[in-house]
Amino acid sequence: MLNQKSSEFVAVPQAKTNGWEILRYQFMQIWQVLAALLIIYAVFFILSPAFRNVDTLLSIFSQGAILAVLACGTTVVLISGGLDLSVGSIFAVVGVVVGVLIKEYQLAYPLAILGALAAGTCLGALNGVIQVVTKVPAFIVTLGGLTAYKGLAELLGSGKDLSRFPEGFQMLGSGYLAPICIMVGAAVLTGLFLTKTRLGNHAFAIGGNEEVARLSGVKVARSRIYYYMIGGMFAATAAILEVSKLNFAQSSRGVSYELFAIAAVVIGGTSLFGGRGSVGKTIIGMMIMQTIIVGLAYLGVGTSFQRIAIGTIIILAVYWDVWRRQPR
Amino acid sequence: MEHKKSAKIILQARGLSKHYGGVVALDAVDLDLHEGEVLAIVGDNGAGKSTLVKALTGAIAKTSGTIMIDGREIRIDSPADAKAAGMETVYQDLALVNEISITKNMFLGREIVKDNLLGKLFGTLDFPKMDAKIQVLFKKLDIRITDIYRDAEAFSGGQRQAVALAKTVMFGKRIAILDEPTAALGVRESKMAMDLVCSLKDHGLSVIMITHNMQHVLNHCDRVIVMRLGKVAAVCDVADVDGDMLVGLITGTIDKKVESKC
Repeated sequence: MLNQKSSEFVAVPQAKTNGWEILRYQFMQIWQVLAALLIIYAVFFILSPAFRNVDTLLSIFSQGAILAVLACGTTVVLISGGLDLSVGSIFAVVGVVVGVLIKEYQLAYPLAILGALAAGTCLGALNGVIQVVTKVPAFIVTLGGLTAYKGLAELLGSGKDLSRFPEGFQMLGSGYLAPICIMVGAAVLTGLFLTKTRLGNHAFAIGGNEEVARLSGVKVARSRIYYYMIGGMFAATAAILEVSKLNFAQSSRGVSYELFAIAAVVIGGTSLFGGRGSVGKTIIGMMIMQTIIVGLAYLGVGTSFQRIAIGTIIILAVYWDVWRRQPR
Repeated sequence: MEHKKSAKIILQARGLSKHYGGVVALDAVDLDLHEGEVLAIVGDNGAGKSTLVKALTGAIAKTSGTIMIDGREIRIDSPADAKAAGMETVYQDLALVNEISITKNMFLGREIVKDNLLGKLFGTLDFPKMDAKIQVLFKKLDIRITDIYRDAEAFSGGQRQAVALAKTVMFGKRIAILDEPTAALGVRESKMAMDLVCSLKDHGLSVIMITHNMQHVLNHCDRVIVMRLGKVAAVCDVADVDGDMLVGLITGTIDKKVESKC
């Protein structure tokens, strides 16, 4: 009797759940942004002779690396349906913290790095806890954090000379290789987290439909706090990289980095509305942004026009997301 | 389909109430679910059917009332409590997350973690094991969905409902609670879903089902609770009623309380 039942639930052609099929399916999700990146690169390649060398390509990667690390955390938060506007200020706080720990407290730099990562993670946790406890929307809580953490960074850093760090510490952010390796490491870790772990998978479920996730027994509030902690931790990583690269720390760093990170995530095709996305897309998104910035600079276009171009692209990227979601 | 009058009561609710400020959405409702039966809940829009199910399963906090399983009182304060007690619920429009795959939907909140150090430390998921379990179950239920790695969004209403019902078979230890399993389905899909509901019974589950479809009540259910304005208007054996009588009870034109014989 069972066998005659529900045979009409077939509508999708039979497919196999083998690895090749799944790989193809995943490629279908990503080929559009990848193609966009290649086309944009090709355009500048044709237009500007100076653009055509490996050094330019490497500088695109290494300049984008710090923001890309930051954007890894933003990817997780946005997928879970959250928003973190405060990461730029967390970045500032952590930069000052790592400087103070090394210069004022004479801490060995690996310990200072651990301390700074912990500080960033705690500030992220604070964002999450406030949201979960008060039910104030993410936009407002992290907008408050944007200002408050900035103030905290100024308090911690005022009147201190935070520069000239030990050589080992300077290695982290200088040159091409180290930042690119750290970026790749951060992206791989985030990717594994999002696709392989329970908590990472719950980010998609919560971002997709929080109520269904709750009714299915997912611990929504606790998971959310973890996602903001991850956001804070990657902001801290990025801040440490930048302090190392510049060889000084200052509370004024990190301004509007949260917007660049969100822009990279959205250009890559991760939904601003939660539930969809991947860190691979974010890295491609960041590369698209950097290619445009560097490419326009090579063509002699000023920074003001570069900003206008990036702003326009962000709006187009979100429009594409909205358009794709409309039933047709 | 014949309902045994002597079957033991598996789930019992007494005096379930839900107040929203001054509004009484659910007013001291009693409910008995017998082992192995399909119990229908019918009533007009706003009669309190969904509120009853949500209060019963911990999706909303009840104002008062007690719930007993096998005669023992249990606390149900969250959907997780209800699941732990063996109740699996398909809420209307809230069954699946569109953005994630069928596999992830089936195991959402109860993922199988790898049986190694990585699994213990980081909660890495064992997808091959989950996929295999789903394929076995789908075969058993004759649900012909093979591309379970696709997002739930890609499937039709009937397929999605089939997945949601399969979830109750996979995890429902004893009780399946369904809020309008055929809402928004076409005639054919609706029939398939009802066949699946009946097969829940074959898998040893006792079923509570909210429905607006009187034919489904008369053809597939053993007993029916009629709700009106947050109260139980009547409890009847399906064998004792017909469609006109049910409609009368729902709308209130028949006010006689039809007592169940059990």
